[in-house]
Amino acid sequence: MKNKPYLISIVIFLIIIMMNVSVFAHKVNIFAYLEGDKVYTESYFNDGKKCINSKIEVFDNQGNKLLEGLTDEEGMFSFKVPPEDVIDGDLKVVLTASMGHRAECTISADELGDTVVSIEEKIEEPISVASPEVSSLDLKEIQSLIEDALDEKLKPIMGEMREFKKSQEDRISPTEIIGGIGYIIGIFGVIAYFLSRKR
Amino acid sequence: MHISEGILSAPVLVTGAGLTATAVAYSLKKMEHKEVPKVALLSSVFFVASLIHVPVGPSSVHLILNGIIGILLGWVAFPAILVALALQGVLFQFGGITTLGVNTFNMALPAIICFYLFNRGVRGKNNFFALMLAFFCGFLAVLLSGFMVAAALVFTGEPFLQAAKLVLFVHLPVMILEGVFTAFCIGFLRKVRPEILNV
Repeated sequence: MKNKPYLISIVIFLIIIMMNVSVFAHKVNIFAYLEGDKVYTESYFNDGKKCINSKIEVFDNQGNKLLEGLTDEEGMFSFKVPPEDVIDGDLKVVLTASMGHRAECTISADELGDTVVSIEEKIEEPISVASPEVSSLDLKEIQSLIEDALDEKLKPIMGEMREFKKSQEDRISPTEIIGGIGYIIGIFGVIAYFLSRKR
Repeated sequence: MHISEGILSAPVLVTGAGLTATAVAYSLKKMEHKEVPKVALLSSVFFVASLIHVPVGPSSVHLILNGIIGILLGWVAFPAILVALALQGVLFQFGGITTLGVNTFNMALPAIICFYLFNRGVRGKNNFFALMLAFFCGFLAVLLSGFMVAAALVFTGEPFLQAAKLVLFVHLPVMILEGVFTAFCIGFLRKVRPEILNV
């Protein structure tokens, strides 16, 4: 076909532009993590922009809405983990951003369970065998000291994991794009076959 | 402009799917065997173009190119856009599968409307006139798509004026960019391969 090379050049032109521009699917993402007894969520468009003033809703296992709120200027929204008797299983956090964008993420029951675990039982035994000075310390103080220390130490690691997770979700590789174009050509090839049989 | 899963109400989704199915069936009947390579190419163009982002204020939007696709394909724009959207949904989770009908209709209907409006002019004798019309074709196609997205959101429940204003305002740069791009493409094709346009 004589027309083909010029149409092909338009496609190649676009592909070249696309290779140089960051390529992200136009969707929103919500990312949630636990720190202490609060759940922190970050909402952002895939090309990095934060979702400001977007609605966040939290549902329990049965689909009942537990709470809702709006993201702040950093795209963040946090809430205290509801007490164990209210939630039963996973929590689902849903983000609704402008113009028809929606994303959700699930916080599994296991992760939630961790925040409520008390270290008390584990501390009980060693304390009773320890030297007299230690017994003057309140059990609760020790527990909170340990939790604070752990939070401090784990913060950078958690931060890195979050960044890593984010980058995994965002990328669209050129492989996928070329694969998609391959599928398009294939599908129309099949259509062409059937059309040619009719004539 | 791709509407994500879970935003629209069931009646809107079903209507969109029905309308698109009808239009696609009609287009496939009309499609000729020899134009299949052109259709496949333009479908790929659409597929790739939606990944090119234009950052606008708080969010970002992407190219649609339904103007140029409408002019070059006419009714066959429907299957072209449907296939590209389906693959974007499956490969990149861009848009959705239930929303396939609505999204296709929102983007393909303006394409065919612009085809009927601007067809004669773009293929006419006067070069300058043709380029001006090509610009308006690209501009109008995005504008109409914006209206249809707003309408889909309205029929689901959001207040019309707010949704319409936001979608149209945010896509203004895209409208202008696409008008320019469409004019550029048409000008290029007129000079180099007038047979494609049957000038």
